[in-house]
Amino acid sequence: MPKGKGDEGGFMKFLWNSDTGEFLGRTGSSWGKIIVFYIIFFAGLAAFFLLMLYIFFLTLDLQKPKWQMTNGLIGDNPGVGFRPQPDQDKNVDSTLIWFDRNRKENYEFWSKQLDEWFNEIPKEGGSDVTKCSFGAGGTDTYKDKNKKREQIASCFVDNKQFGECNPENKFGYRLGEPCILVKLNRIYAWEPIGFGLNGKQYNQANFPEIFSNELKELEKDIENNPQQGMKPMPLFLQEYIKKEVETQDHNPQWKTDFLNSVFISCEGENPADKENIGPISYYPHPYIPSYYFPFTNQRGYQSPFVMVQLKKPMPGVLINVECRAWARNINHNRPDRLGMVHFEIMID
Amino acid sequence: MERSGLPFVTGIVHEHITMDSFEDEEQGQGGSDEWLDVDDDPSKPFLRPVRIYGSRLARDKDVIAFEERAEEREWDIDDHKIEVLELQSRYDTDLHWGLSEKQVLKNRKHYGENFLQPPPKPSAFLKFFRAVIGGLNALLWGSAFLSFLSYGAQYIYTDRISNDNLVLGCALIVVVHISGAFSFYQEFKSSRIMESFKTMVPRSCVVFREGSRAEIDVKELVVGDLVEINYGDLVPADIRILECQNFTVDNSALTGEAEPQKRLSVCTDDNPMETKNLAFFSTNAVQGTAKGVVIRVGNKTLMGRLAKLACGLDSGPSPIAVEMNKFIMIMTIRSLVFGGVFFGLALAIGFSLIDSIFFLIGIVVANVPEGLAVTFTTILSVTAKRMAKNHCLVKHLHAVEALGSTSCICSDKTGTLTQNVMSVAHLFFNSAVALADTSEFVTGQQFDMQDPGFAALANVAALCSRANFRPGQEDIPVLKRTVEGDASETAILKFMELQMGNVSRYRVNFPKLCEIPFNSTNKYQVSIHDMSKTSDPRHLLVIKGAPERVINLCTTILNGNEELLIDARQKEIFNSTYVGLAKLGERVLGFADCRLPLDRFPLGYKFSSEDPDYLDIGFRFVGLISMIDPPRASVPDAVSKCRSAGIRLVMVTGDHPVTAKAIARAVNILSEGNETIEERAERLGCTVEEINPTTIKAAVVSGAELKLLSASQLRNLLRNHTEIVFARTSPEQKYIIVDAFQKLGYIVAATGDGVNDSPALKKADVGVSMGIAGTEVSKETADIILMDDNFSSIVTGIEEGRLIFDNLKKLIAYNMADNIAEMYSVWLFMVLRIPLPMGTIAMLLTVLGTDVLPAISIAYEKAEADIMKLRPRNPKKQTLVTPQLLSYTYGQTAVLECTAGFFAYFLTYAQSGWLPGDLIGIEKKWHSRSVNDLVDSYGQEWSYEARSQLGLTSQTAFFVAIVLTQFANVICCKTRRVSLFQKGMRNKKMNAALIFALALVGALVYVPNLNASVNLTVLRPEVWLAPLPFAFFLIIYDEIRKFIVRNFPKTVVGNHLDT
Repeated sequence: MPKGKGDEGGFMKFLWNSDTGEFLGRTGSSWGKIIVFYIIFFAGLAAFFLLMLYIFFLTLDLQKPKWQMTNGLIGDNPGVGFRPQPDQDKNVDSTLIWFDRNRKENYEFWSKQLDEWFNEIPKEGGSDVTKCSFGAGGTDTYKDKNKKREQIASCFVDNKQFGECNPENKFGYRLGEPCILVKLNRIYAWEPIGFGLNGKQYNQANFPEIFSNELKELEKDIENNPQQGMKPMPLFLQEYIKKEVETQDHNPQWKTDFLNSVFISCEGENPADKENIGPISYYPHPYIPSYYFPFTNQRGYQSPFVMVQLKKPMPGVLINVECRAWARNINHNRPDRLGMVHFEIMID
Repeated sequence: MERSGLPFVTGIVHEHITMDSFEDEEQGQGGSDEWLDVDDDPSKPFLRPVRIYGSRLARDKDVIAFEERAEEREWDIDDHKIEVLELQSRYDTDLHWGLSEKQVLKNRKHYGENFLQPPPKPSAFLKFFRAVIGGLNALLWGSAFLSFLSYGAQYIYTDRISNDNLVLGCALIVVVHISGAFSFYQEFKSSRIMESFKTMVPRSCVVFREGSRAEIDVKELVVGDLVEINYGDLVPADIRILECQNFTVDNSALTGEAEPQKRLSVCTDDNPMETKNLAFFSTNAVQGTAKGVVIRVGNKTLMGRLAKLACGLDSGPSPIAVEMNKFIMIMTIRSLVFGGVFFGLALAIGFSLIDSIFFLIGIVVANVPEGLAVTFTTILSVTAKRMAKNHCLVKHLHAVEALGSTSCICSDKTGTLTQNVMSVAHLFFNSAVALADTSEFVTGQQFDMQDPGFAALANVAALCSRANFRPGQEDIPVLKRTVEGDASETAILKFMELQMGNVSRYRVNFPKLCEIPFNSTNKYQVSIHDMSKTSDPRHLLVIKGAPERVINLCTTILNGNEELLIDARQKEIFNSTYVGLAKLGERVLGFADCRLPLDRFPLGYKFSSEDPDYLDIGFRFVGLISMIDPPRASVPDAVSKCRSAGIRLVMVTGDHPVTAKAIARAVNILSEGNETIEERAERLGCTVEEINPTTIKAAVVSGAELKLLSASQLRNLLRNHTEIVFARTSPEQKYIIVDAFQKLGYIVAATGDGVNDSPALKKADVGVSMGIAGTEVSKETADIILMDDNFSSIVTGIEEGRLIFDNLKKLIAYNMADNIAEMYSVWLFMVLRIPLPMGTIAMLLTVLGTDVLPAISIAYEKAEADIMKLRPRNPKKQTLVTPQLLSYTYGQTAVLECTAGFFAYFLTYAQSGWLPGDLIGIEKKWHSRSVNDLVDSYGQEWSYEARSQLGLTSQTAFFVAIVLTQFANVICCKTRRVSLFQKGMRNKKMNAALIFALALVGALVYVPNLNASVNLTVLRPEVWLAPLPFAFFLIIYDEIRKFIVRNFPKTVVGNHLDT
């Protein structure tokens, strides 16, 4: 649009016309009326919005999500999480745990995260938690669908059982033997289905057959879905499960509950990483006991976790670590980061 | 047709049958003034005044520029003045033998070929290119560029590459090409229709070369050629006439002169355009034959020069183009302002510079209504198509709206307002005037043939005539048949054919023995018929001609069965009738008969036409017949429609003021009771000076008077008179009039068909040419062509044009609402740091997908009130995009749609476990791939993948909400003021469009793979219900708004809500 001199003067006058007292082409009272109109309009709209929201909220239960698992899009295949995490403010996409074991302020950034995590765990004896164990019927108490959330106590997580992974030890970071907390994402009402059970109680007679069949099936799945980054269950875990099941110390219920747990394994991702990563310890054991499931938003529920300690990681090298959770209803999907988690460790 | 005070016309612009026989050669203006002896300016006003008004009139810059061009148009030649022999040597020709073949080649080389170089038309590619980059598309190109820039920057500076910007850029480029192709195609189609008109250029001609006669293609003609022209031919080049018989040309196409012009072989005027020994290229030879020498060919002919001049004028942007430019300006400024504000905000919130720039670009692009260009063009072309159905061919899409903004029409008279056919209007017999039906649709007898008075008049009218129907037209309705003969005789013949059945069969009974043809001294025509087949064998003499001449030869007058002697009283009746009819602008002829006494003229008597001895016996006067070129039946209605629509109607004609005024009265251009100053003076019996001129609202201004007015006087004249007729104007004056109206702020539509009208057509905001009578050049310059030459077609055009302005407003309100709502969603995304509510592709899907058909269906929305009762829009105040409209879209509908979108968005999140409060501020973690355990309101932990699925679902919900509230919006947009309940949902196209759009959304959401490819996903059915309360809220709110607008239009709020 061509702009002549007259136009510019016109614009200044449009901005503020001293003759008529008009600001932007309107007088004050005229502006006032329009502002009042808009206040009424927006107030009406906001009220309507809130009313609608209120009505909608009446259809919601604030104790449990309206739609759960696949319905609610969270899915029935939990992701795996780890702590400590890199600084989210600096780089939101990073998964690198990089610390200098000789510099206190540096490794404390990482160990503090785990400190805080430990501090949040409800103390033993509180009304929110109860001690659970395999075969003790502990799981039944909170599987009782008739009980309200307030009445259910969560299973107690004992922070004394994590061996060297404790605050006094700075979770191993001081010594360059870092502990990494591996946990399973909470999904409302999700329960693991264990290997070797065929969905039933533990049966000593057919357990080995079922277990090996299931592992074979798993291998078939791996062949069929090459992109997903699935892997067979690590041998150490297979051995561990078999060994625990074959022990005569435990009753069948214990074994059922044990097998229904979620097993955790961590490995170096590539052959080089496997070499560099060194031996790995799992505290208290390489599984998350089944009695922590399902999560139903119980009082004091603390995500159960496994502490993974790298006993002798190669310093000065970047090590790719992959931790996987194992249950029959956990699928591993590397692109979608389900059932497994990836992080890197570098120790100076 | 009953009309009082019937006024009629004498001059016919496109009368191809000359009135020669009833004309004085000097008086080119047709019969009426001659019969009437009206002492009007006898000078020939055409063409010559060009220089004269230039010295007196308007000093405005462009008028002066035009005048300078007019000076150029003064044709500096002397080929018509010099001796024939000199001419012969000048062009190396031989005026008896013609050119030699060798000389033909030489002259062709020297003077050029004989065809009109069409004005350099932009190539189709260039036109397409312009359509693609012009107008709103420019805005889209800008955003496409920014999108690519943003994509490129992302590619270089970050590792998170999303294809959204690339997709957006590509989509925009596809869109500009689609909308460009659309408008290109529309105009291409119009120009194809134009092609079919090309009839003005003569095809072949008769030429003498090397002494032999040959018929050659006109293109072959060269300067110096000797040509022969017969009646019915188009003059093949500019020609100096060497010899001719009764040669008459119709110059109307070239000069606007209404009447065919007699040509002579002698130079009568220094001015080449006035002299009678020149005939001009592509004019029509209507009578006689001529031989002449070609003096100018091709572009150097008068026609060629005029055509070129007209094409050089610039008409400026159309009203809608002005509006579009404003709109683009507003959008650009707003985009930049919004973008800038949020760029600053983003920086302040703590985004990185790069991210802030992405936001800036995102906001700028989101603010551009991508779909508007396509729907805008479509609406224009839909309307153009509808106008074409109503005989209004729109050449440029923008002209569609221009007609609607028209506040003044400068209309031609002949052919546009009138039928362009002479027809019998009044008859005087039995001492009384009878009215004849002049409408186009008469089919039968109107008068009683048993009435002796009428029978006698009919007898004379049927016999005293040289006109005949061309044979083989028995099946054609009488009024449509072709007649050989002049206009008056044609009118009478057709009238008689309707009365008597078969005139030629009737004539056979009374063989013509002798005939005195019309000549300008006698001004009558006589024939004598053999009556031997009847019981009374006396010869019958019939005479018709100028009434005062005829009555002077009469002694008695027929009244019923009795013959009365013509005394003073009879003379008085005759005179008053005659003058009365002439004042109506009608051409009046007197009729008389006589039975020749057998004693003086026995059977077998040899009558002589050279030396008549039978004119003194005293005839019996039987009556008068008056004729006019009657107004088209639909015109008065159309005129009153224009008037109630607040459009000024001005008649600008080359015709005589009396005729012009009469037609103006008949069609209501001069309304009843609105006197001109002369009429008032006459009624009050005082002089013109005694009348208070401020009380006079009507004026008839002749070209000669116009010449004397200064620019400011002219403007005062136009301001102070509501009803004006310009008569006897030259086409140049038409330009001046158009210009003066534009200076007064009018948006002017001008009609015209001649080459000389082209400057006025081009100057006018809407140039209207005639499909049938219009010349090629005028059609070329015009924006709109009336295919049926009928004025009332303009009115339908205006109606459509006005409707489209309203509809375009609605379109913008509709199309911008979701655009802005989406922009708001980006704002809130930034400010609240919530997960992304709507992706770029979803935005494109609304503005370029689901919006499109409902938007186009707005074009089929009928007018909500009687738009033809409103005044034309004031182009300064009633603009397309008003602050009110922006306030409405930005402040009301968009906010509402955005709210609905967020309701659906929060709803889907809440159902899956994310309550609204927990979403705020979560954006960074939400979109981070490394965060695989984000905790929701129920303590669940969400992996990245699950979050993206949920995000996609809520984006789909947002999208659906926007689409559904847009449905409500388009329903609101059906009316601007009237309640919806009054309007109803009768626009079937819109209903179908809504159903289609619904199906489209359904497909986009539910068809597997399709939904994934456009970043949408399956929704739970109840989510579709979420936006519905808001859709109803919108409709109800809009009803309230319209109620306020209707009932409190004067209040601040009422005015503000009126978009």
